[in-house]
Amino acid sequence: MGEAAVFFLHGLAYAGLLFLVSSGLTLVFGMMNVLNFAHASFYMLGAYFAYSILYLTGNFWLALIISPIILLVIGAFVERFLLRKVHVHGHVHELLLTFGLAYIIQEAVKLIWGTTPQAMPLAGFLADTVNFFGVVYPVYRLFIFCLSALLGLGMALVLFKTRIGIIVRAAVDDSPMVDALGINVPMVFMGVFAVGAALSGFAGVAAGPLLSVFPGMAGSILVDAFVVIVMGGMGSLGGAVLASFIIGELQSFGVLLFPDFSLALIYMLMALVLVLKPEGLFGEKQ
Amino acid sequence: MAILQVIGVQKDFSGLQVLTGVDFEVGEKERFSVIGPNGAGKTTLFNIISGKFRPSAGQVVFDGRDISSLPAYTRARLGMARSFQITNIFQRLSALDNVLAGVRSRAGLRHNLLRRPHHDRDLMKRSEQILERVGLADQRHTPAQELAYGQQRALEMGVTLSLEPKLVLLDEPTAGMSRQETEEAISMIRRVTKETACVIIEHDMNVVFSLADRISVLHYGVMLACGTPEEIRADQRVKDAYLGEEEE
Amino acid sequence: MASQNAVLHRVGLALALALLLVMPWLLGSYQLRLFTEAVIFSLYAVSYNMLLGYAGLLSFGHAMFFGWGAFSFAVALNHFPGIPLFGAVALAMASTTVMGLVVGVLLLRVKGTPFALLTLAFNALVFAIGIKWHSVTGGDDGLSIACPPLNLGFTALNVSHGANLYFFTLVIVGAAIAFAWYFTRTAMGQSVLLIRENEERMRFLGYNTNVSRLILFVLSGALAGLAGSFYAILNSFVSLDAVSIEMTTKVLLMTFIGGTGQFLGPVVGAFFFTYVQNYLSDLTDNWPLIMGALFIGMVLWVPGGLAGLAAKLSGGRKQGDQDGTLAGME
Ligand SMILES: Nc1ncnc2c1ncn2[C@@H]1O[C@H](COP(=O)(O)OP(=O)(O)O)[C@@H](O)[C@H]1O
Ligand SMILES: [Mg+2]
Repeated sequence: MGEAAVFFLHGLAYAGLLFLVSSGLTLVFGMMNVLNFAHASFYMLGAYFAYSILYLTGNFWLALIISPIILLVIGAFVERFLLRKVHVHGHVHELLLTFGLAYIIQEAVKLIWGTTPQAMPLAGFLADTVNFFGVVYPVYRLFIFCLSALLGLGMALVLFKTRIGIIVRAAVDDSPMVDALGINVPMVFMGVFAVGAALSGFAGVAAGPLLSVFPGMAGSILVDAFVVIVMGGMGSLGGAVLASFIIGELQSFGVLLFPDFSLALIYMLMALVLVLKPEGLFGEKQ
Repeated sequence: MAILQVIGVQKDFSGLQVLTGVDFEVGEKERFSVIGPNGAGKTTLFNIISGKFRPSAGQVVFDGRDISSLPAYTRARLGMARSFQITNIFQRLSALDNVLAGVRSRAGLRHNLLRRPHHDRDLMKRSEQILERVGLADQRHTPAQELAYGQQRALEMGVTLSLEPKLVLLDEPTAGMSRQETEEAISMIRRVTKETACVIIEHDMNVVFSLADRISVLHYGVMLACGTPEEIRADQRVKDAYLGEEEE
Repeated sequence: MASQNAVLHRVGLALALALLLVMPWLLGSYQLRLFTEAVIFSLYAVSYNMLLGYAGLLSFGHAMFFGWGAFSFAVALNHFPGIPLFGAVALAMASTTVMGLVVGVLLLRVKGTPFALLTLAFNALVFAIGIKWHSVTGGDDGLSIACPPLNLGFTALNVSHGANLYFFTLVIVGAAIAFAWYFTRTAMGQSVLLIRENEERMRFLGYNTNVSRLILFVLSGALAGLAGSFYAILNSFVSLDAVSIEMTTKVLLMTFIGGTGQFLGPVVGAFFFTYVQNYLSDLTDNWPLIMGALFIGMVLWVPGGLAGLAAKLSGGRKQGDQDGTLAGME
């Protein structure tokens, strides 16, 4: 029982990370109809920037704040100067662009930081453990989960309670209202893309101490994030929450139950959903 | 014998009743017309006959065979061809290639991995003939998107006729045309549908009265009346529901 | 004018053929091997462009065919001792065809981004099968193969390396590329183009567009499988590398850098990629970074690729050119 609880908590922490990554991915897809292959690269960059900041300053909190800000800028740049430029060439080009970006970032990371995994040591209370209902558990994983839950709540508040949020949701739902309101739609696109990149980078920082920092980290979470948004329904934030939870737990217990097959299983799950229910398990039907 | 029978066809889109029981028959070589104001459900009716939508209830019988659940491409192969109210052709292809698509489909040359349609004299000749029939012989190498509007409408008709169908379904063939273009289009339609059955959708009465053998009036999903142009002209319900509106 | 053009075309073609035929006497053995590799990758890229350039289908899983073909070939050689070379190649293509049919039926139910994702997923599944089915595929160790001699009736040629391999590749792979070119002009090839232009109208003209796409998908896969078997012959070895996502990325880069808008674009891309990679990898370990930057640059500024650029420079051929592809993609 105790062991299962530990795995459950592990799953929750990973689900938190996954949600931070996939929420941006799904919103950008819903709005711009672009599946951003480079989205997980932002996650990886976030982790590497944090690693360097931690290395230079020794302050994790600083890394947690600065790194996402850098990603915010990078995200805005990518949308404004790259994605928007190829938009006229159509959908395939947009996909290819993000695919090429992911490829380049991967190679650039190898060039700058090398291929060996780097550890991000924690200090202070984050490095402690707590006794959690009789299970001794690392504080940091709980911290990750709480942090992502908080951010998720914040996101929901912004989306449902503010004017900006209403605009974003309308854009996701393809409402003609957006244009009618005389809103600067490109600006909204850029904003959402940048915030998505920042969230992804934030998840990367959080993941660093947990999973270490290495050039393969983008690829592994990208697949999971794809599965999440496919299951959750592309463009659906609520779906992303549910699917993140499921995939997080599945990864956690899957590693336990089918250590050899977890990657193939995840792909199989995605293929099944796409073939049988392309609109997603929880997504609203278009 | 009737080539097309529409029997009790209904259609609703998630609750919205667009067609509520439509019945009519079209004889071989008959020119039949469906008229009605915008939004009456005419295009929806065509979509059901041609296989884009399944009816919510009722049947479509073509050439004595219930085709209600057949896919659009099978219906086309059986000898039914439709045109579109909003021009729906291969924009970046030449006029000739546009009609060739239908001509070779008619000849069963769809998935052939060895034969090249452009090297088939017979197919090319038939394509040229189709273009001549719709008056586009001189534009054969012009990309469709570079044709004038009236010519694009003619090509729309050409692509439809390229199947050499037994039944032609024309959805507002004169939509957006000037008066003179409309005149020309009418005489062309009269010419090209001499040997086939034909259903024409129109909201322009004048077009229909000069073309159709029989007319039915569709009004918000209901068949109001069906008869010869004279009968329709005299029908009080039609006058109330439709003619009156037009003249207002 | 047109006939003058045609004559020029013919002279060019004859010159190119003559050049191909004397290659072994012009190149050293290392260079000849590189050239042979470029020919094999040309077929791989041409088969990929049948999906991307002609049908507008963006696949992230083409290596599943390439690798499946390579492994089927190796497995056929290893499990049926005495099988003639052509027998093994034919078996490899047949098995890739069956695989393409099964995968295609599932994949082609969706379009656009879900299709791209599904191809990625299936590629990963095939890769996982490759790793796990150790007894057949050799898993991480791969499979060594001893390529049997090619029996020509009067003599048996060893075609596993050198000029013999080059000519064997040139004839078979070249014929496959030529067929792919011919295909673009056939009824089926034209249907694919028309479907991309206006699928709805095609359906109302009697075309079962799902069947068209399936045929294209299977054919494209079978040709990639053929390229895969020659890749196995070239290396006398098959590793999981052949079915990896990297191999998919490779064909994507080749095809796009070369240009999707013209038939020869992917061939240009395959040669360019093979040679530039060869050159760069001697200089730096970071050649993928350069290749990636080049790719991005192409996507941003030269969406027609090298071939499109060449066509533009040599006097602005109209878009929607004679090669049958339609420039620009949705
Ligand atoms: N695919 C659809 N989904 C929902 N409603 C539709 C659809 N197609 C048509 N309608 C509705 O059906 C009604 C009739 O449309 P239509 O058949 O195009 O009329 P007409 O061709 O007579 O002008 C309209 O109110 C239209 O909004
Ligand atoms: Mg209409």
